[in-house]
Amino acid sequence: MTPVAAADALDAQPIKLEVKNLDLYYGNKRALNSVNMKIPEKKVTAFIGPSGCGKSTLLRCFNRMNDLVDACRIEGEILLEHTNIYDPKVDVAELRRQVGMVFQKPNPFPKSIYENVAYGLRLQGVKSKRVLDEVVEESLRGAALWDEVKDRLHDNAFGLSGGQQQRLVIARAIAIEPEVILLDEPASALDPISTLKVEELINELKNKYTIVIVTHNMQQAARVSDYTAFMYMGDLVEHDLTDTLFTNPSKKQTEDYITGRYG
Amino acid sequence: MDITSHTHHISQQYNIELEAIRTHLSEMGGMAQRQVNDAIQALIDADIERAEQVVRADIGVNNMEVTIDEECVRILARRQPAASDLRLVIAVTKAITDLERIGDEASKIARQAIAMHKDGLAPRGYIEVRHIGGHVSRMLQDALDSFARLDLDMALTVVQTDRVVDMEYSTAMRELVTFMIEDPRSITRVLNIMWSLRALERIGDHARNLAQYVIYLVNGEDVRHANLEAIEENVHPRDE
Amino acid sequence: MKNLTRRKTGWFASGAPWIWLNAGAMAASLVMVIGIVGLIAVRGFGHFWPADILETTVVHRDGQQQKIMGEFVREEIIAASVARDGGYQVEDGKELLSRYLIKLGNRDVSGRDFVWFMEMGMGEWTYPSDAIVVERREWGNFYGFPLAIQEGDKTIVEVTGASFWDELDRRVTRALELHAQIHRIEKTDIGRINRAMDELRLERRRLELKGVTRERLVIADAEFAERRAVLEQRYSQVKQDRDEILLLAKRDKLHVRTADGKNITIPLDNIVRVTRPNTMGVFTKAGQYVERFWEFMTDEPREANTEGGIFPAIFGTITMVLVMSIIVSPFGVLAAIYLREYARDGTMLKIIRISVYNLAGVPSIVYGVFGLGFFVYTLGGNIDQLFYPESLPSPTFGTPGLFWASLTLALLTLPIVIVSTEEGLTRIPSSIRQGSLALGATKAETLWKVVVPLATPAMMTGLILAIARAAGEVAPLMLVGVVKLAPSLPIDGNFPYIHLDQKIMHLGFHIYDVGFQSPSVEAARPLVYATALVLVLLIIVLNITAIRIRNNLREKYRSASD
Repeated sequence: MTPVAAADALDAQPIKLEVKNLDLYYGNKRALNSVNMKIPEKKVTAFIGPSGCGKSTLLRCFNRMNDLVDACRIEGEILLEHTNIYDPKVDVAELRRQVGMVFQKPNPFPKSIYENVAYGLRLQGVKSKRVLDEVVEESLRGAALWDEVKDRLHDNAFGLSGGQQQRLVIARAIAIEPEVILLDEPASALDPISTLKVEELINELKNKYTIVIVTHNMQQAARVSDYTAFMYMGDLVEHDLTDTLFTNPSKKQTEDYITGRYG
Repeated sequence: MDITSHTHHISQQYNIELEAIRTHLSEMGGMAQRQVNDAIQALIDADIERAEQVVRADIGVNNMEVTIDEECVRILARRQPAASDLRLVIAVTKAITDLERIGDEASKIARQAIAMHKDGLAPRGYIEVRHIGGHVSRMLQDALDSFARLDLDMALTVVQTDRVVDMEYSTAMRELVTFMIEDPRSITRVLNIMWSLRALERIGDHARNLAQYVIYLVNGEDVRHANLEAIEENVHPRDE
Repeated sequence: MKNLTRRKTGWFASGAPWIWLNAGAMAASLVMVIGIVGLIAVRGFGHFWPADILETTVVHRDGQQQKIMGEFVREEIIAASVARDGGYQVEDGKELLSRYLIKLGNRDVSGRDFVWFMEMGMGEWTYPSDAIVVERREWGNFYGFPLAIQEGDKTIVEVTGASFWDELDRRVTRALELHAQIHRIEKTDIGRINRAMDELRLERRRLELKGVTRERLVIADAEFAERRAVLEQRYSQVKQDRDEILLLAKRDKLHVRTADGKNITIPLDNIVRVTRPNTMGVFTKAGQYVERFWEFMTDEPREANTEGGIFPAIFGTITMVLVMSIIVSPFGVLAAIYLREYARDGTMLKIIRISVYNLAGVPSIVYGVFGLGFFVYTLGGNIDQLFYPESLPSPTFGTPGLFWASLTLALLTLPIVIVSTEEGLTRIPSSIRQGSLALGATKAETLWKVVVPLATPAMMTGLILAIARAAGEVAPLMLVGVVKLAPSLPIDGNFPYIHLDQKIMHLGFHIYDVGFQSPSVEAARPLVYATALVLVLLIIVLNITAIRIRNNLREKYRSASD
């Protein structure tokens, strides 16, 4: 038997997101092939795979950002706790409030730091300064940014460094208390120290949020995630505990990719 | 798993480094093997020169352990190996420890040979030495081969043979003890043979360890301290 | 040692010629711009400097001598043969001679204003210290010598008297005050009464149109008659007041003598200013310069736009530009937002976009014609039918006016605003939009809370360009709302305060009118420069204001791509 505790196995976890037979087409080209996947709650799941394998595409399905691409068509279901997010009755804006996203390149708004974090709240109609102040502080603390910016909350967000901007974006995302946070290569534009700070942050955030992260950097996936899914050319090849996948993957394709034999 | 897969990395340098530790391991294994065979022969033939040579050559084995260890650490630091590459490096670092011990045990046997030259030949035990020595030598050969060829069946054979060796060793020990009781004057000389037999048994255990590393390397399962049935199940799962 | 010197030698290869070419073109452009603005500035600004009055004798063609007085305008060198052909006696052997343009003024006396005089027989130019120039409301300037001040029939003081100049000053000031009073009474009080009377007429017409019964009409008529009587009484009262003041104003007179001896009387009521430029020092002249420039900017025009100020034209231009901005901004911005954000990609969209861009190339006079035909006659006519039937057949909106002029210009500049705004919207990186959407904003919320604020500098740029284009257009305006002389300003104290149906004056049109339609070219020329100068300055001020607003916004909304 494997030395890994049975309780950690993927099938034993409470599931937050479930992908059922998902096919995705860009025009006539199929980008995702019958993907079936279960994302465990309050854990970090990493998607790895070579360029063009569909990991970012799949990630963007979870908050329906692919709707913005005209030619994109999907078949199948994605369940967020038993509700199919592609159901016509679902309000996309509400979905995105519950499934937040952080992008590869930090994209704070050209407003003050305070206003960036408060943006989501204001959208929901929160006007009370006291409430806003509280939530802004909490979110910035949660993003490990409070100490660095507490004296200049009303400065323009573009005055921050890249790593700080990315953490600001994370603060902005957690301010509206989503249930799931999607991270699309969040550290690829950052220097090593900022990268490590973001990874540390992810480690803390998983206590409250379900996290899915797409990354090109396998060592990062190995460091940061509890579960890893390897994708290749639109297929989900293997999805297992990170420890298992990186020491003894069951598929040769996975092995070839993570040892650098893929070429 | 494929024995050539270690050479298929995109990074050519990485391929070379992994190939190197495998090659060096084989070399070290070969050295250890020669030590063992020479020591056994020296004991049986009472060849003092050969025995002294074995003792001197042990340094070479020790040095190789250090060298290969350094190479492995370097690979870990720079390449962050994953999956089978990781298991290979870990297996090699463990294997060289066992090989070094094998070398030490061979030295001990050689020293017994020298001692017996002084003290006089033992009356009994040479047959056992030849017999068990033969097994152990073959075990070591097979273990090294299975490492080189990643041959699970061969590795399993080694593990199974160790059982036999252990049994024969117990039998031999009982007999020699009986002999010593019968002829107390021969105790010193018999003891020498018994140390040698014990060293051989140890060498067998180390060879079995090597085989277990091969299973780990190929299957990804750590089968140390598992019983034989479990190992057999691992290598040949019942539903295959 | 490594050879790091340039491999390809030669001046051409280094690329330096291109830099010189670019810099040269830039310098040439700069010189041209500065040249034009400088020319306008010098000629325009120079107009207000009080010129000295010269006195000299000239010999006419028939040998007669005459003493003349006036301002030197300019000198010209002509061929002697031309003069001889003109009948002038020129010594033999002379090839070239000069002639001088002198502004004589005194149009009521001599019938001429600007006259050329040959240099032959011209006497020394003197600058008598007591020569005066009198700026008048009718007949232009007077140049001559003062004699005495009269009140009614009595002579108050002669020019030889010690208190003459002070007295003159005092009385002229009083005359100006009285004139202002009269003007006020006429404009405000009498104007109000006239409007009330007009309103009565319109009310009756309204009743008529409603089709009330004859009896009702008779009753109404009686009521109207009553009210009219009240108004007329008030009118006669006001008129009486005015007449009294007028009498007072007309009481004072100034006796003067021209250089060649003719005596005339100028009522002080007719005088705008009396000065002795030959005795004025630099500072006094500078003070007067400012005064005259100020008058130019704030007074109404006189003498068929050849004298006085251009305030109504400035006011009209600014008002029109403002109304145009208010119309074009929302339409242009919203259209651009629709085109960029909401419209679906396809052939239809391409067609619309091409049409918008092509609109920018349509000649402006075509817009004028369109404005006249569609806005003025069709739309305006219908509005009149629906809302102002009582004024018909006199059109309210069915005639060129402020609103139609602004609307036509808004149409003209619409493509500029649309293009600029679209550019601004395109430059906003999609990562900002996606970031907002990912936080649960709807497309509309993202648009209005994040995208549009970021595009505001571009919108301002579009508005700046629109203003710059519109402020200079004259051709379409001639058809849809601008006149030579407007009776009143489009914004005044009467409800509804801004009169969109009124005709306006416009600086560009004013330049055209003064330059080409005025009776006296020489009198008009400096005014043309001065007005052009004001127009250029106005546009510069408008542009700089808009640019500063835009720069402020740009700082505030600095985008990630900067």
